Amino acid sequence: MKRTQTALAGLAVASLVLTACGRDDDSGAGGETQSTEIAEGAATGTIEVWAMGTEGEELGDFVEDFEEANPDAHVKVTAVPWEAAHDKVSNAIAGGDTPDVSLIGTTWMGEFAEADGLMPTPTDLVEEADFFPGAWQSTEVGGTSYGVPWYVETRVLYYRTDLAEKAGWDHAPKSWDELHQFAADLQEAGAKNGIYLQPGQTGAWQTYLPFAWSDGASLTNEEGTEYTLDSPEMAEALDYYTQFFDDGLSITRNVDPGEIESSFAAGTFGSFISGPWHTGLVEDAGLDESQYAVAPLPGRDAGMGTSFVGGGNLAVFKDAQNPDGAWKLVQWLSDPEVQQDWYDEIGDLPAVQAAWDSGELADDPQLKVFGQQLTQTQSPPSVPTWEQVAGTIDSLVEQAARGDLSGADAVEKMQSEAQSIGTGL
Amino acid sequence: MLRAAPRPTVRTVDPGRRSQAVAGWILASPFVVVFVAFTAGPVLASLGMSFTDIRSTDLRTPFAVEFVGLSNYADLVQDPVFRKVTVNTLLYLLLGVPLTMAVAMLVAVGLNSVARLRGFFRVAFYLPVVTSIVAVSVVWKYIYRDEGGLLNTALSWFGIDGPGWLDSTTTALPSLVVMAVWRNFGTLMVIFLAGLQTVPQEHLEAAEVDGAGAWRRFRHITLPTMRPVLLFGAVITGIGYLQFFEEAFVMTKGGPLDSTRSVTFFTYDQFSYGNYGYAAAASYLLFLAIVVLTLVQFRLLRERD
Repeated sequence: MKRTQTALAGLAVASLVLTACGRDDDSGAGGETQSTEIAEGAATGTIEVWAMGTEGEELGDFVEDFEEANPDAHVKVTAVPWEAAHDKVSNAIAGGDTPDVSLIGTTWMGEFAEADGLMPTPTDLVEEADFFPGAWQSTEVGGTSYGVPWYVETRVLYYRTDLAEKAGWDHAPKSWDELHQFAADLQEAGAKNGIYLQPGQTGAWQTYLPFAWSDGASLTNEEGTEYTLDSPEMAEALDYYTQFFDDGLSITRNVDPGEIESSFAAGTFGSFISGPWHTGLVEDAGLDESQYAVAPLPGRDAGMGTSFVGGGNLAVFKDAQNPDGAWKLVQWLSDPEVQQDWYDEIGDLPAVQAAWDSGELADDPQLKVFGQQLTQTQSPPSVPTWEQVAGTIDSLVEQAARGDLSGADAVEKMQSEAQSIGTGL
Repeated sequence: MLRAAPRPTVRTVDPGRRSQAVAGWILASPFVVVFVAFTAGPVLASLGMSFTDIRSTDLRTPFAVEFVGLSNYADLVQDPVFRKVTVNTLLYLLLGVPLTMAVAMLVAVGLNSVARLRGFFRVAFYLPVVTSIVAVSVVWKYIYRDEGGLLNTALSWFGIDGPGWLDSTTTALPSLVVMAVWRNFGTLMVIFLAGLQTVPQEHLEAAEVDGAGAWRRFRHITLPTMRPVLLFGAVITGIGYLQFFEEAFVMTKGGPLDSTRSVTFFTYDQFSYGNYGYAAAASYLLFLAIVVLTLVQFRLLRERD
């Protein structure tokens, strides 16, 4: 009895403490002014950098040129594995013990900016127009930019040229109708499935939304404060997308890791939509450049479609010890020549448009396709709740692709769920 | 014989006992500190979180959140996805527990009656328990594959065209249960095997002399004697199935169409979406379900006089 009383008293105290807190209205990202300009002169002091994956391993040696130009500065790079990166950064922000600058996945921008962890980009640091517009869009949370795009990736159409030739196609499809016909013809020419489109589950939105964007859909209103997922364009794009499954042109099950490239090499899949990493994987699977090609996504009626852009941004933390040095490093890494060198080093596609004007990036036919597609891309809204909204879209795409949910009903559900989730800003 | 002196009615504190108590607490303090800081603290904190709207973006200011009372719990009960995963979890429980216990009992009785190679089989059947769940799930994923999967290849010898077991909303969940039974029955088998040794041999022999067949001996002597062991088995297996997660995470990612998503999987999703308050509420509902289930099992299987 006594124990129950103590427990109840404890709960009461806890709830009182909690009610005493409550949110401030003005907290969070957006509406912040960009930072003040950075100081003149060379960078000084230690600059602590976190980077993930290959970037983390190679960046340490790569910044030697920067240190040469800024003799008083020392760059300390810590490699963080991608799997641990999100939690590590969010713990660092929570504890106020962050590095100066870090590579941030584009879809994390909203969350970390809203958690008050990132510093707005200084006004005079870089020119927004130098970057691919879709990539710059990913740095903006609630109208304020919180970082600079470092590298990008975008999705294009991969197809078997030998099968296409057999089917009588000497060019890649250039409209939605053509793409559908193309997939059907590849199937006729011997592919088991004319195309592979992801039928649902994590990440399906990255294949579906480009069709909606190509149709002119916008995921949020102008101010980015509310979702607008139930537009006729979203519904039309989803109906078009599910048509591939209804007509048996794409399989309705999710593939196993590695299955896309092996099926593509075996001629089981005639085409698929994916990012730049697949050129290497496809060639490892046994195809050479004469057997397959990449092409920009087709627009709805004609011209190039709009694709998804992802990649990594560089952001400086509010708790940075050396923000001035950090921004100068970011500025250096955004230089077109440095971006080109970085591409030569590890193959990250440059986010700065001028870096594509010369060298391998300008000459290689496959890379040119990616460069061309990058000029017409969108990124999802940078809001803290995006992953959850994306999860909802994935699950409704699956219901439309595998079940009998119509496009209009699916997008209506997307909208009502997204509305109840909110933008989180 | 000495008779104990009647206890004094006035409570006095023996100074020796008090200093003993102090010494005891001092000796126990390292554990108490660690327990409070790393076990009780987080548990209570997560309980507190379940009454607030805390999200991942509040990490820098964890106390600047709104107290929302029971609204997380109310939202959960109305959430169609949460309802779906609750039904799935109940299916895991209702299919998994009886099946695991039955298989474990069958194998234990079988092993109990063989004299040779018992050790070998005991190890062989226990082996899946100690293997890595992720590795095993990946292998089973290939067993269940539509084309070229081991199961469908075997079925095709008999002219049966098996489906993609994990690709259909009706077969995916039972397929996962079968795999979980295969993986988990080893523990129970070892426990049941030990329990079988406690069944008094004289009773069985007496029953046999009285003409009771093998089934009746098992039903009326073995099973009642093993009641406490069965209770223990039911409780730990039940808790395991209520927390079903890894198999679905690796093999189906919760699909197709959420048909294999469990409550733990749902909680995991909500945590990764950053909805800490909502996720904490979901995990406390699961905790409540485990407590209720355990109480029910104790009631059903407790010793009868």
